[in-house]
Amino acid sequence: MSLSDYLLGMLGLYGPPALFCVLLVGAIGVPTPGSLLLLVAGSFVEQGEMGLWPVLALGFAGSVVGDQVGYALGRWGGRRLSARLSRWVGGEQRLRSAEDWLKRRQGGAIFLSRWLLSPLGSVVNITAGLTGYPWPRFLLYDLLGEALWVTLYVLLGRFFSDRVEEVSEMLGDFTWAFAGLLLAALLGWSLLRNLRAPSAEELKAGRGGAVADETS
Amino acid sequence: MRKLGWQQWLVLTLFLAALIVAGLFGVRGVRHALYWSTHRDVPIRAWMPVPYIAHSYRVPPHVLYQALGINPSHPHDKRPLRVIARDQNRPVEEIISLLQETIARERASGPPPPAPRARPSEGGTPP
Repeated sequence: MSLSDYLLGMLGLYGPPALFCVLLVGAIGVPTPGSLLLLVAGSFVEQGEMGLWPVLALGFAGSVVGDQVGYALGRWGGRRLSARLSRWVGGEQRLRSAEDWLKRRQGGAIFLSRWLLSPLGSVVNITAGLTGYPWPRFLLYDLLGEALWVTLYVLLGRFFSDRVEEVSEMLGDFTWAFAGLLLAALLGWSLLRNLRAPSAEELKAGRGGAVADETS
Repeated sequence: MRKLGWQQWLVLTLFLAALIVAGLFGVRGVRHALYWSTHRDVPIRAWMPVPYIAHSYRVPPHVLYQALGINPSHPHDKRPLRVIARDQNRPVEEIISLLQETIARERASGPPPPAPRARPSEGGTPP
């Protein structure tokens, strides 16, 4: 029997408190089928076996608390790792510039990794803590993203209440398709920018021309 | 045209690989969506409690409880099949086939279930 089957059975037996626990440990990084559990919980709501509000409240609370634990682990447990990393990547300065870039871009990553790219959520939590992303902003994006994730998946579970496992598989496919497209867009943009930038020879020729103009 | 260096070739290869992965998952997702828009009977699994199976197959829960020898006057028995099998000292596969037979009998004796557009016999296997 798989872990996923075991956790789904627990959800049926113990209801929303089981959902709270599974989403909490999932947010810290333990591989658990959080999205599938939310869909199944939505199906139980549709069947009248669970109440909608307890499912939404405990699902939301579990995921948000787990995200804060992940962030704290990165922030306070990751300093030693950060010091080692700075030696590997070639100095404190390089690590600092990577951190600055992440701080500028991470809001969107935090929000999207809550609901659209949920498999990346636990990695983003730890990275946010590790890079010293401001906690109030992390919490804001986290609350928004988790509210959307929990509500969306529970409602989808209610709507497709008689075939949630299959819907979960389908949503998983679309999640990875989106992640692939996002990665392709980032790589394509970086490649285009790189190709449009003047090459070393062009720069040299340009400078040479400028010097010739000045001397004439 | 500007000549690509090895770094650009690497990025281009990764770009194409990401596009292929996105395409494969996208096609699989669309195939799943098309299949499950016309099929409803999901495979019975060990994690499912009896009310969930009854809901999925649109049969009254008491029929399934009766087949398993569980008192139907206790409708909120939420134990997963795995736990029922363990409590009854039977393999879970036996419980699943018993439920499948009961569902087939119930459907044959009663009016056809509402909504589904394709019967399991016409369905084949999911993509």
